[in-house]
Amino acid sequence: LNHRFPLFASGSLKSSGPIGAGLVQASRSLQTSSQSLAPVPPLPEYGGKVRHGLIPEEFFQLLYPKTGVTGPYMLGTGLLVYLLSKEIYIINHETIAAITIGTIIVYGVKKFGPSVAAFADKLNEDKMAKAQEAKDVAMSSLTQAIENEKKEQWRVEGRAMLFDAKRNNVAMLLETNYRERLHMVTNEVKRRLDYQIALQHLNRRMQQEHMINWVEKNVIGSITPQQRVIHKCFSDHLSND
Amino acid sequence: MTLSLFNQFLSPSLMWIPLAAIALALPWALFPHQTTRWVNNRLLSLQSWFLGQFTQQIFLPINSPGHKWALLLASLMLFLITLNTAGLLPYTFTPTTQLSMNMGFAIPLWLATVVLGLCTQPTQALGHLLPEGTPTPLIPVLIIIETISLFIRPIALGVRLTANLTAGHLLIQLISSATSVLLSVLPAVATFTITLLFLLTLLEVAVAMIQAYVFVLLLSLYLQENV
Repeated sequence: LNHRFPLFASGSLKSSGPIGAGLVQASRSLQTSSQSLAPVPPLPEYGGKVRHGLIPEEFFQLLYPKTGVTGPYMLGTGLLVYLLSKEIYIINHETIAAITIGTIIVYGVKKFGPSVAAFADKLNEDKMAKAQEAKDVAMSSLTQAIENEKKEQWRVEGRAMLFDAKRNNVAMLLETNYRERLHMVTNEVKRRLDYQIALQHLNRRMQQEHMINWVEKNVIGSITPQQRVIHKCFSDHLSND
Repeated sequence: MTLSLFNQFLSPSLMWIPLAAIALALPWALFPHQTTRWVNNRLLSLQSWFLGQFTQQIFLPINSPGHKWALLLASLMLFLITLNTAGLLPYTFTPTTQLSMNMGFAIPLWLATVVLGLCTQPTQALGHLLPEGTPTPLIPVLIIIETISLFIRPIALGVRLTANLTAGHLLIQLISSATSVLLSVLPAVATFTITLLFLLTLLEVAVAMIQAYVFVLLLSLYLQENV
């Protein structure tokens, strides 16, 4: 029965020996916990200060309280002389090769170092300049948009005057139209009334003429032959005088 | 310790513990990873710029299926150039002076390009064995010659790198030995040899970088033919 227990225990990886612990961690992936979301501290702008290109300044500061300014140099010289005199370091052909390549490296760094550093800085500067330019363009376009908006608002204030002018125009048109129509109506009415007046005048005149004619006719008809003889005697008498 | 001319080419070991792995891991330790920051420090900016320029330069003539090799060839270039230039420092071991390592790079990569060409476009790959415009009677001879040159390629790649670096290191060692001996006997001649050593070291710096570049360039050419 003993050989069955490992089969039951193999369900839990943690207890399955030295590899088990690693196997548990194998399923956890890197950079997924919320700790990796925290903001990264800013990079220092310049590297640590070094003296003679190799030895950090902190070493000199470390030795300064006890040995002063020349302390580290004495340490270096003493160490070198100790290594040489005790033949811990032997001068051989590699030393000459080391001097040669060391000279070349130092010369190269001193001569081309600043230009390479300036080139690297320029690479980053260009990157930042592009982003800065994009930001500047965005800002200028936004200020332009603000100015346009203000102008539009000013225009809106003048809109009331525009509407008033338009309203006056329309009112004038309406008034003109009304007066035209009134004029037309007046004319029509006058025409009809004139017609009636003319009709009346005609009527009266005709009546007058008719009456005159009738009166004349009657008078002429009523002249008897007696009156005609008298009229003739008078006219003869007058002509004889 | 007393050094012979062979010491620099021995695979380093400390009390019978081989240190070759540490020597090979050096380039990995020297170059920082890409960060998530937008603006990096100078070293990282220069490194990214250099890798970008180099990859673009190498992969310009290669069509897009070959661009899968970009990571491999760029990292190979960085590896080789670091190993070569770091080997110029005194008392260092240069792994690329060992023929075993260089053949270990050359043969698998060359074979990968050949097999890739034969698998994806066998007609064109075999067609490279006969240059265009050869007169008809020369064709059988030329095919044999081209096949031989095809199989010489990995050997040439490996041996070129090994020989250049080994010869350079050996010359530096020899001339500096001569200088160190002459310094006590004839100092005037020693100045001449030191000048020679300066010039030689400058040459070696150039050779170190050029050889790494040539290795990767030739591999990219073989890739261009076959992809």
